[in-house]
Amino acid sequence: MPNSPMPKDAMPDFEPITGRYIGLDISGERHRIFVEEAGQGPPLLLLHTAGNDSRQFRHLMNDAAITERFRVVAFDMPYHGRSTPPDRWWLKKFRLTTESYLGIIRAVWLALGLEKPTVLGCSMGGAIVLKLAARYQGEIAGIIGLESSAYAPGRYNDFLHHPAIHGGELCASYTYGLNSPYSPEVNRRENWWYYAQSGPGVYQGDVYFYSIDWDAREDIKEIDTKRCKVALLTGEYDYSCTPAMSEAVAGAIPGAHFALMKGMGHFPMIENYPGFRPYLLGALDHVAAAV
Amino acid sequence: MQQGIWIGGRSDLGSFLSQPADETFVGFVVMSNFPGAAWLDEYRDRVNGDPELNVIGEWFNTTFTLTFGDHRYALKIDQGKIAEIIAAPRLDVRSSFGFTAPVEVWEKFLGPDPPPLYHDFFAMLMRVPEFRLEGDGLVAMQNARALHRLMNIMRETGMPDA
Repeated sequence: MPNSPMPKDAMPDFEPITGRYIGLDISGERHRIFVEEAGQGPPLLLLHTAGNDSRQFRHLMNDAAITERFRVVAFDMPYHGRSTPPDRWWLKKFRLTTESYLGIIRAVWLALGLEKPTVLGCSMGGAIVLKLAARYQGEIAGIIGLESSAYAPGRYNDFLHHPAIHGGELCASYTYGLNSPYSPEVNRRENWWYYAQSGPGVYQGDVYFYSIDWDAREDIKEIDTKRCKVALLTGEYDYSCTPAMSEAVAGAIPGAHFALMKGMGHFPMIENYPGFRPYLLGALDHVAAAV
Repeated sequence: MQQGIWIGGRSDLGSFLSQPADETFVGFVVMSNFPGAAWLDEYRDRVNGDPELNVIGEWFNTTFTLTFGDHRYALKIDQGKIAEIIAAPRLDVRSSFGFTAPVEVWEKFLGPDPPPLYHDFFAMLMRVPEFRLEGDGLVAMQNARALHRLMNIMRETGMPDA
């Protein structure tokens, strides 16, 4: 059938998400960062997983029950997704650290004027929100940590960035089993695709943070849940951050809310959003009720 | 190309089959040991009929081993297809890498509702010490995508009949 023009009364099937680029100075380097937004209300800032980008949150950002209550903001970390690496990136090995990660989040947060945001992060994002809560507890409403660990050794290896191995296919396959076997295949495969698109060494550089640099076992003891609410959600099939690892975090933070997500894996927001949604709404009620 | 499951290489090496010494060795036998010949047949057929491996398997050419408790098999892979499964491979069957685990671990992996940590070979490599990658991990990870599909087809084949 030949291409036919769209009927005059038909509307393009746009989603309510809008994306923009923002110029930012972070640690003396100029960055071009991709930011996407949906909804209105108090800010809800989203942090994607290692070696991935903000597309992981597309279901959440299309959920009217969330966007009617919150200004939902997600961004691609430098080197990830549609954010451009800084000048002279080819002269350094990409290595995310706890401090550089905090600096990036803080720069985006301030540039966008997010006042008392609720910060939700998954995996490495679920880790760093613990440090955000410890350091900035007077300035954020609360945190929602998905697959949150205070200490997560064991994910780093040399093959993640190796000239004899297709890094995209390895990183995507290496993370595929972190999904629950019960999550819909189409969603697990979508996440595989995003992983496969990661730049060379970017996933490994993130895992350097997650499995080598990261240790917040002492920091989390400083979190005062009267000043900064804490909700932690972890999938039953997550073997990178096991439910026991998140429970240990919750146990060290009096007043933290923890829920085990049955039948869920490491990527709840993308692998099975309908299954994740009730837990998310409960966590938002806990964390942002007073906002 | 052989499609059968060849038990042993030559009749003079038939003793490892634990058959009575006075029995004549036959090349193709029904195995009673996990996962069993019928399961291996079905697994091979599923792999060789898999539409995804038709897309991604072209460069997957190697021999790797699967060891279920005391029983070891070499799988000759040719362009993502199982060309041959050799039971109890002799020393002259070269392989690049292999996975080995007790039968109890494989049973969890192959079960219809695998417990967490047993639902994926990468999960087991990280969290189940009895499940081991032996040999050259570089070759395994060079083929990570097709290998992962091959291992997931084991799960789709399911638990062998008792």
